[in-house]
Amino acid sequence: MSGLESYINHTVSIITADGRNFIGTLKGFDQTINIIIDECHERVFSTTAGTEQIVLGLHIIRGDNIAVIGLIDEAIDARLDLPNIRGEPLGPVVH
Amino acid sequence: MLPLSLLKTAQSHPMLVELKNGETYNGHLVSCDSWMNINLRDVICTSKDGDRFWRMPECYIRGSTIKYLRIPDEVIDMVKEDAQAKSRNRGEMNKNRGGNSQQNQNQRAVRSGNRNNFNNRGGQGGGPGLGNGGMRTGGSGQGNRLLAQNNKNRK
Repeated sequence: MSGLESYINHTVSIITADGRNFIGTLKGFDQTINIIIDECHERVFSTTAGTEQIVLGLHIIRGDNIAVIGLIDEAIDARLDLPNIRGEPLGPVVH
Repeated sequence: MLPLSLLKTAQSHPMLVELKNGETYNGHLVSCDSWMNINLRDVICTSKDGDRFWRMPECYIRGSTIKYLRIPDEVIDMVKEDAQAKSRNRGEMNKNRGGNSQQNQNQRAVRSGNRNNFNNRGGQGGGPGLGNGGMRTGGSGQGNRLLAQNNKNRK
């Protein structure tokens, strides 16, 4: 059984091939790692302003476009002070 | 839940599709297939930089060019019913399949019974063998009895 099965209904962070970071609840996936993310937010990092969270809602992300899926520790994540966190945005995957 | 089941459930709902080249397509989903190829109606296409727009009555998008789809929140609650109904049907189908295999076994028993009949032609086995032929429509219990009988005939 795929390791993703244990992430179902947990908060995950998805880094996509274009360098974006999506956070949300993993609702499902298939053999090509297409995934369903519920209550999806995008975190936009910036070195000049704090990290911005954009609410997006329900998403299907195509597996081709996914680089990393990580399990989020919700207790730690809730303590993050996003508006005061600055960081370089990721670049896209270079083939 | 499978992403493609959710997509199928989203048919006739509005959605936003972003392609790998950064263009976005807003429209109502008409149909989709197992490769994620999709048909949209009443579409507005937005260029990558977001400053040019095109309206079109319909479009077809190859699944492999899609980056992600944004779907109305309520659609996920509609899938659950579908998925449950499907798993119920699957359960019933399995039950039927089990029933069929028993029937097959029964038919096989009858056939091998006839074979035994042929082998024992002119001997004592002929009588019961013919009788077995009439039990073709019998249940699994009879099938088992047939098997037992066949084994006896074989010895």
